[in-house]
Amino acid sequence: MRIEGTETLHAPRDRVWALLDDPQALASCTPGMQELRPTGPDEFEAVLSIGIAAVRGTYKGKLRITERTPPERYAVQVEGTSGAGFVRAVGVLELEDQGAQTGVRWSGEVQVGGALTLGSRMIPGIARMLAGQFFQCLDRKLQEGSP
Amino acid sequence: MTTRWLGAPIKRNEDPRLLVGQGLFVDDVQLPGMLHAVVLRSPHAHARILRIDVRRALEHPDVLLVLTHADLPPSLREPLPKLIPHPDLKHHKTQYTLAPDKVRHVGEPVAFVVATSRYAAEDAAELIEVDYEPLPAVVDLEDAAAGRPALVHEDIGTNVAAHSVQRVGDYEAARARADLVLARRFVVDRGCASPMETRGVVAQWDPRARQLTVWDSTQAPIPIRNGLAALFGLAQKDVRVIAPDVGGGFGPKIMMFYPEEVLVPLAAMRLGRPVKWIEDRREHFVATNHERTQIHHAEIALDREGHILGVRTVFLHDAGAYIPYGLIVPIVAECTLPGPYRIPNYHAEFRAVFTNKTIVSPYRGAGRPHGVFVMERLLDLAARELGMDRAEIRRRNFIQPHEFPYDVGLIYQDNAPLVYDSGNYPAALERALEAVDYPRWPEEKARYRAQGRRVGLGFACYVEGSGIGPYEGCRVTVEPSGKVYVATGVGTQGQGHFTSLAQVVAEALGVDVRDVHVVTGDTGAFGWGTGTFASRAAVVAGSAVHLAAQAVRQKALQVAASLLEASPEDLELADGQVRVRGAPSRSVSLGEVARAANPLRGVIPSEWEGPGLEATRYFAPPRGTFSHGVHAALVEVDPETATLRFLRYVVVHDCGTILNPLILDGQIHGGVAQGIGGSFFERLVYDDSGQLLSGSFMDFHIPTAVEIPEIEVIHQETPSPLNPIGAKGAGEGGVIPVPALVAQAIEDALDDLELEILRMPLHPDALFELIQKATRRGS
Repeated sequence: MRIEGTETLHAPRDRVWALLDDPQALASCTPGMQELRPTGPDEFEAVLSIGIAAVRGTYKGKLRITERTPPERYAVQVEGTSGAGFVRAVGVLELEDQGAQTGVRWSGEVQVGGALTLGSRMIPGIARMLAGQFFQCLDRKLQEGSP
Repeated sequence: MTTRWLGAPIKRNEDPRLLVGQGLFVDDVQLPGMLHAVVLRSPHAHARILRIDVRRALEHPDVLLVLTHADLPPSLREPLPKLIPHPDLKHHKTQYTLAPDKVRHVGEPVAFVVATSRYAAEDAAELIEVDYEPLPAVVDLEDAAAGRPALVHEDIGTNVAAHSVQRVGDYEAARARADLVLARRFVVDRGCASPMETRGVVAQWDPRARQLTVWDSTQAPIPIRNGLAALFGLAQKDVRVIAPDVGGGFGPKIMMFYPEEVLVPLAAMRLGRPVKWIEDRREHFVATNHERTQIHHAEIALDREGHILGVRTVFLHDAGAYIPYGLIVPIVAECTLPGPYRIPNYHAEFRAVFTNKTIVSPYRGAGRPHGVFVMERLLDLAARELGMDRAEIRRRNFIQPHEFPYDVGLIYQDNAPLVYDSGNYPAALERALEAVDYPRWPEEKARYRAQGRRVGLGFACYVEGSGIGPYEGCRVTVEPSGKVYVATGVGTQGQGHFTSLAQVVAEALGVDVRDVHVVTGDTGAFGWGTGTFASRAAVVAGSAVHLAAQAVRQKALQVAASLLEASPEDLELADGQVRVRGAPSRSVSLGEVARAANPLRGVIPSEWEGPGLEATRYFAPPRGTFSHGVHAALVEVDPETATLRFLRYVVVHDCGTILNPLILDGQIHGGVAQGIGGSFFERLVYDDSGQLLSGSFMDFHIPTAVEIPEIEVIHQETPSPLNPIGAKGAGEGGVIPVPALVAQAIEDALDDLELEILRMPLHPDALFELIQKATRRGS
């Protein structure tokens, strides 16, 4: 399924890009992220704990940055599995220069399997909520002035 | 005064026990030291297994055993047995106990965990790490047939398991001289039975007696016993399979084997402790067989008076990931399609196709609803095209009562010629039409229309193949208490065998039906038989029961004749007594006769053929019997919400001699409810990656008492000449014509829109789309 949205971050595009390019900053803003360990150039192993519908689980997975066009475009591929099933997703972030602020257009193609499919109708809503939390956190960091 | 038991509407012997919670279902089996098992299943529809690491699960303190494919004994690493081979089934691929290197549908077993509790086993299963390499999933049936986007079984180089053709006459020639040729593409989509009780297995191994006991919610305990004995190298006598009370079967519980039926006994033997596995509902949706998906390209050729010259269907059948059960469903579909009609030229051709979905095996109807849907739809659309009444086009094509036995010209699922034994098709239709006052329907419909209501009348005719061989058997024993014990190999899943089979015995022996105790589904009690399927228990087992009871009756007369110093011809059996006709004071109880038949000293006359009031008999019918019927219903459509309401539902049903009309009504009511569910409410929706999206009762809507109307049943009795009791099967007639009827009723209700309903199941959103499209076309 395809999920997309737009956000506005209150900082110039270069600063937004710098933050997005910092794995630790990303990790600290990703809801439920418990661990993010680099395993190679642009490759990470992650442990994530999230609840989807009635199914809460700890997902172990891989995160790979598949495209990086500073300071405009950023694409990631995520694979996670847990006892409740698996999630595979491809996400794209596009940054639009709006002077003092930056427009973000994000989209994801998500596939779930196992018990998670029972909640698949709820995934777009949950993904939007998690994305909202993610960008609010980034925005807070930008406004706090940390790079 | 003798009481007639056969055909009487008596209440069920088993109900008091079941109603107070004293049934014995597999999950009721509690044994000391029992362990609990969980199956780790594939979350992918199609993937290669790169690595399985069970170490962390084995470290769990409550875990006793973890099995993967590599841990299985060699006999269980091979694919499980091929059931029912067929010459056209080129690639008879069967399922594995545990997946070796690749998974082919969501829910396929990958590992098996046994622990001291279900809770611990579930936790430990989550600790197993499996690395999968996902492969493109084969989901769409037409793509699958063309080998896209992947091969479910690479080694055979195709997804087509079988290609089969049956012909009667010459369809092409018939088509060439037809006044009307009408062709459509019909789709019937996936459905599943949803029994109240999911599957379950308990196994116990006694190492001293070397005896394996398995409680299994199966419809076929004897074949399961024989199969387990073969797989584990045990004598059949050392394996006892008990199918106790089973909470609904409907077909899918007759597989052999479901992997758990092998894994649970294996674990019990390895650990020397009893092991229980109970399927949860989430597993059931993906791990218990489905049915129904077929795509028919069908064509009918008629003259201008509406006489059928020929029919052709070329269809795809979705087998799922494996095809253990062979070609039964598509064969039944093509053989049910001709129905009650004379079709001189018929061409039926199918391909059975592998997909990355749950395995398909018969589910109540088992191809029959498909055949009836296609045939009845073709007739409806042809009648519309010819400007002919839809009842009249059927009347003109019915096989007439004097034409039986009627040879359809095909080979049926039992490899015997498809020959209808008896029936009265025109009478059944007239009764149904009379019940709904068809001649006055146009006025009635106009009256509804004037109130702003859209009500349609639908009806559909069907012939139901049932009562096929090869055989069943029965042992009837009268004990000195006067009670009668009956043992047969067919299992029971709620059909009332404890009563209907008891009635056959009560009738023969003149005893109260409550004194007849039936044991079914325990290989320890009776070890020969094939199972409960294809609406055959009453016909085949019922006939064996009749033969055994009649043999006991003859013996009772013989023994009592010597006790009463009378001639056997002057004796009668009634009220548990054998008495001299016309001199009721000269009598002896059946119990006394049983005692006399088993003396401690003395001589047994050679004509008694052994001791005791006991006989075992088998019945092997030459071919199946064919029930038939007509359903008619008034259905209201709300064009704004696209929902349906059934205002009336009438069933005219002919299954030969009726054993118990109450039980028969129950079979029909349940069948219609399941048919309505499968026509409009329930659906199994897969996404492009082969994930089942509607795998819970939140999304798979089983109809409730609110959606199911009161069902009026009209019994017609045309006995079968093929068995001693004249019975025919009744298990599936409730389901079979419902999709065809619903389609016709909706088209009638919305006749101004000129809809064509070519797909089942329909559901509100699909109907809504059809209505929108038709409305746009009209404006």
